[in-house]
Amino acid sequence: MVSRRDFFMGAGAITAAVAASSVSRVSLAGLPEPVIQSSPETMAPLEPNTGRPYKPVVTLNGWTLPWRMNNGVKEFHLVAEPVVREMAPGFNAHLWGYNGQSPGPTIEVVEGDRVRIFVTNKLPEHTSIHWHGQRLPNGMDGVAGLNQRAIPAGKTYVYEFEAKRPGTFMYHPHADEMVQMAMGMMGFWVTHPRDAHPNIDEVDRDYCFLLNAYDVEPGSYTPKIMEMLDFNIWTFNSRVFPGIDPLVARKDDKVRIRVGNLTMTNHPIHLHGHEFEVTGTDGGPVPRGARWPEVTTDVAVGQMRQIEFIASDLGDWAFHCHKSHHTMNAMGHDVPTMLGVDHRKVVTQINSLIPDYMVMGERGMADMAEMQMPLPENTIPMMTGDGPFGSVEMGGMFTMLKVRADQPAGDYSDPGWYQQPEGTQAFEWTGPLQEPSRFKSEASTGKPAVEVQVRKPTGHSGH
Amino acid sequence: MNKTNTALARLGSTGVLLLTLAGCAGLAPQSSLEQVQQQSAELTGQDSLHWATEQDQPPVVRERIAELLAEPLALESAVEIALMNNPGLQARLFDLGIADAQRVQASRLPNPGFSIGRMTRGSEVEWERGLHLNLGSLIALPLTRRIADGQNAQVQREVSLSVMRLATDTRIAWYRAVAAQQSLAYSEQVLQAADAGAEMAHRMAAVGNYSALQKAREQSFYAEAALSHLQARQEQVASHERLVRLLGLWGEQTNFTLPERLPDVPAEPLDQPDIEQQAMASRLDVQAAQQGAERLATNLKLGKATRFINVLELGISNNSSNEEPVQRGYEITVELPLFDWSGARMAGNEARYMQQLQRTAEVAINARSQVRESYQAYRTAWDVAAHYRDEIVPLRKRISEENMLLYNGMFIGVFELLADAREQISTVNRYLQAQSDFWVAQSELDLVRFGPVTPSEANSASTTPASPAGGH
Ligand SMILES: [Cu+2]
Repeated sequence: MVSRRDFFMGAGAITAAVAASSVSRVSLAGLPEPVIQSSPETMAPLEPNTGRPYKPVVTLNGWTLPWRMNNGVKEFHLVAEPVVREMAPGFNAHLWGYNGQSPGPTIEVVEGDRVRIFVTNKLPEHTSIHWHGQRLPNGMDGVAGLNQRAIPAGKTYVYEFEAKRPGTFMYHPHADEMVQMAMGMMGFWVTHPRDAHPNIDEVDRDYCFLLNAYDVEPGSYTPKIMEMLDFNIWTFNSRVFPGIDPLVARKDDKVRIRVGNLTMTNHPIHLHGHEFEVTGTDGGPVPRGARWPEVTTDVAVGQMRQIEFIASDLGDWAFHCHKSHHTMNAMGHDVPTMLGVDHRKVVTQINSLIPDYMVMGERGMADMAEMQMPLPENTIPMMTGDGPFGSVEMGGMFTMLKVRADQPAGDYSDPGWYQQPEGTQAFEWTGPLQEPSRFKSEASTGKPAVEVQVRKPTGHSGH
Repeated sequence: MNKTNTALARLGSTGVLLLTLAGCAGLAPQSSLEQVQQQSAELTGQDSLHWATEQDQPPVVRERIAELLAEPLALESAVEIALMNNPGLQARLFDLGIADAQRVQASRLPNPGFSIGRMTRGSEVEWERGLHLNLGSLIALPLTRRIADGQNAQVQREVSLSVMRLATDTRIAWYRAVAAQQSLAYSEQVLQAADAGAEMAHRMAAVGNYSALQKAREQSFYAEAALSHLQARQEQVASHERLVRLLGLWGEQTNFTLPERLPDVPAEPLDQPDIEQQAMASRLDVQAAQQGAERLATNLKLGKATRFINVLELGISNNSSNEEPVQRGYEITVELPLFDWSGARMAGNEARYMQQLQRTAEVAINARSQVRESYQAYRTAWDVAAHYRDEIVPLRKRISEENMLLYNGMFIGVFELLADAREQISTVNRYLQAQSDFWVAQSELDLVRFGPVTPSEANSASTTPASPAGGH
C-alpha cells in the first residue's frame, strides 16, 4: 500500500493525470488521508487495530481499506477515479474505480459500528454510492436524484450510518450507473457479527470477490460501455485466469467464500472435490435448517452468495463459473465452426496469400491453447494457463482451491502444484480389454443396433 | 553592235550567276533527318532514326530488333524499336524528302523562254530570235528561297514532333501494358483467395457446419472475382496489342515479354516553377507558328517588292535578215497595271499575315495552358501514387497484420482473413494503377515541353473498382 503522496510519484500518476477534475489539498484537509493501492495482488488480511475486533476477510486480488477512528466513528475515505487495472499480466484495462483499483477496496466493519465514509469524486462526471444491502437512513442510500444530489466532479460528500446487519454486501454507483458499472466501479462490504451469531460460524479462511464483466476489444484498453450482453472478459474482481490468485487452505480448514454478482447475467459458481452449503445471501445468514448441500450455486445478477465447506481433501481443485464461455477470455463470437472441415490443399492456397495462416479449429479449439501464436497487443489468449500436466485451457472466471496439509494458518501464498500420491491419477490403459459382465439379453457382437455415421478425426492433419 | 554585244554579254553573265546561285541548293534530305534526329533526341534519348529507303529492312535493324525483343522488353528498348520499326513513322519521314525537294525546286530560276520567228518579205527572209526571262521571279528569288527554307524547317519540326509523340505513345503503351500484366497477376491472387473461400465453404457445408446460404455467399465472391479476372485478362491483351502496333511488330515478334513490375514512383516529385518559360523556348508548335508568321511577313514584303515588277518581262531580240545587217536589241514588255494594281492580292496577304499573328498568339496561349495542366496532372498523379505508397498501402498492410493477430486469437475466422486478403490485394492493385497513371503523366509532361498534349488517358485508366464484393 502506498500513501497518496507516493502514488503521485509513481506509475499511478497516469491515472491521476487523466482525472478530469482536480481536488485541492486544502479542501481535503481534515479528511482521512485516502489510501491508494497500486498492486493487483491479493493483499494479506487487514487485522483491525482499532475499533471492535473481528476476523478479517481476504479479498481475491484485492485489499481492504484502512480507516481511522474519530470519536468512536469509523472513518473511511473513498476516491472515485480513473484507474489502470491489470486484468492479467500483459493485459491492462482503463477503468474507473476507487483508490487506485477496480474493484475498489473492501470495507470491513463490525455490526453496530458507526461508519462515516467520505467520497471524493475525481471522475469527469458526477457520481454517487449506493450501499447495497445495508439498512440505513433513506438519505444515505445513494440513489442520485432520488435520495441525494449526485456528487459533482471535484466534490467530496459524506455518508454516515450504522452498520446494523452482519453479512455480505457491496457498494456501487447509482448515478450514470450503466457507464460507471461497465467501467468497473464497485466494491465489497463485509459486516462482521459483533458477538457469536447462531447462524454465522467462525471460519479459518474467509475469501471474497465480485463477479464482473467487460467488453474490451482485443488491442484496446477501455471497455465498451454500451455492451449489454455480449461481453468478452468475465472476471473475478476484474482479473481473468491465469491472472487470478488461487484460494488456499490448510487441510480441514473451514473456508467461507463470499461472491457478489454485478454483471448482467447469472453465474453458476462450481467447486470441485467438495460440497458446500450456502450459508448466507445479501439478505443475511441462511438459517441452518434451510441450507442444503451443493457443488454449484447460481449467483444471480445483483445477488451475493456466501458458501462454506471444510477443505477436507488435499489437491488443486478447480473453482469456476460453470458457463463454459465464462471460462474463456476474449474470443470472436462469430467465428465459423471449422470442426471436422478438411483443410487439405486449401491450406496451401491460403498460405500462398497469407503466409502466416495456420489451421485452427479443425479438430476443436484446444489448438488455441496449444499454439503460441502472436496476438494483438493488450489481450490474452481465449484459453490459457498452464498446469503441471499441460494447458488448463481455461480463462476468465476460473481459479483453484488449493488444499495443503502443511499450509500455515494465515498464509495465503500460492503453495505451487499439488504432488499427487503414487497411483492416484488417471493413467493410460495399455493392457488387454477385459470382457465386461453383460446382461444376458445384450447382443454379443458388441455392435450397436443402429450405426451412426460420424466422420472421426484421425490424427493431426494439415499442420 | 558593240553596244548590244555588251548588253548580251552582261545578260549572259547574269544568267550564269543566277544558274550558279540556283545550283548550290542541292537535294539534302539526309541533313533534314539529322535535324529531326537532333530535335527529337532530347525527348526520345535515341539516335536510331533511319530511312527505310529499301523495301526490306536492312539486316542491322532486323538484328537489333530481334536482340531487343529477346530480353524482357525494357522501356527505352520499346522506344528504340518503335523509332526503327513503326511504319507510320517511316511514312512520315518521307515528308522530309518531299519538303526538301520542294525547297530545292523553289530555289531554282524559272526557265527562260526562247522565241524564234522567220518572216519573208519578197526575197527577204527575216529571222527574229528572242530570249525572255521573267524578271519578277529573278528579283524575288532570294525571298522565295527563304520562304521555301522556312517551309522545309517547318516540316522538320512537324516530323520531329511526330517522332516525339510516337516515343511518348510507346512509353505510355509500355506502362499500361506492364501495369495490366501486373494487374492480371493480382486478379489471379484475388481469384485464388475467393477460390479458397468457396472451397472451404463447400467443405464446411459438406460436414454440416455451413448452411446453403452461407455457402452460396462465399461462392458468390468467387463468381465475382472470376468476372474481374476476365476483365483483367482482356485489359492485358488489349494493352499488349496496342504496344505491338506502336512497335510495328508482327508474327513471331509479338511474343516478347515485359518486365514484371513498373518502375517505382520517384521519392520526390519534380518541382518546376519555370516550366512555362522553358516550354515557350522549346515548344516546336510555338516556334513553327512564329516562323509561319515571319514567312508571311516576308511574303508580304515580297508582294510589295514585286507589285509592279512581276508584270515586267525582259527580252533580248536578235533579228537578222538576209537583206539587212543583223538587228539587235532588247525589249521590255510592261503590263499596264491598269485594272489590277495588286491591291487585292496585297490585302489578302495582309489578312493572312494578321491571321497568322492571331494563330501564333493562340498557339502560345494554348501551349502555356497545356504545360500548366500537364504539370498539374503530373503533380496530382505523384501525390496520389505517393499517398498510396506512404499511407494507404502501409495502413492496409497494418490492418492485415492486425487481422492475422485477431485470427490467431480466434477473434475472427478464416473467411474474414480471406476477405481481408482480397481487400489488401485490390488496394495494392489500385496503387499499381496510380503508379501507372503517374508514369503516363510523366511521359505527357515530357512531351508537352515540345508539343501539344491532351492530358487524357491518365485519369481515365484508374477506374478500377474500389474493392471486389465488400466482404464480411
Ligand atoms: Cu459465468
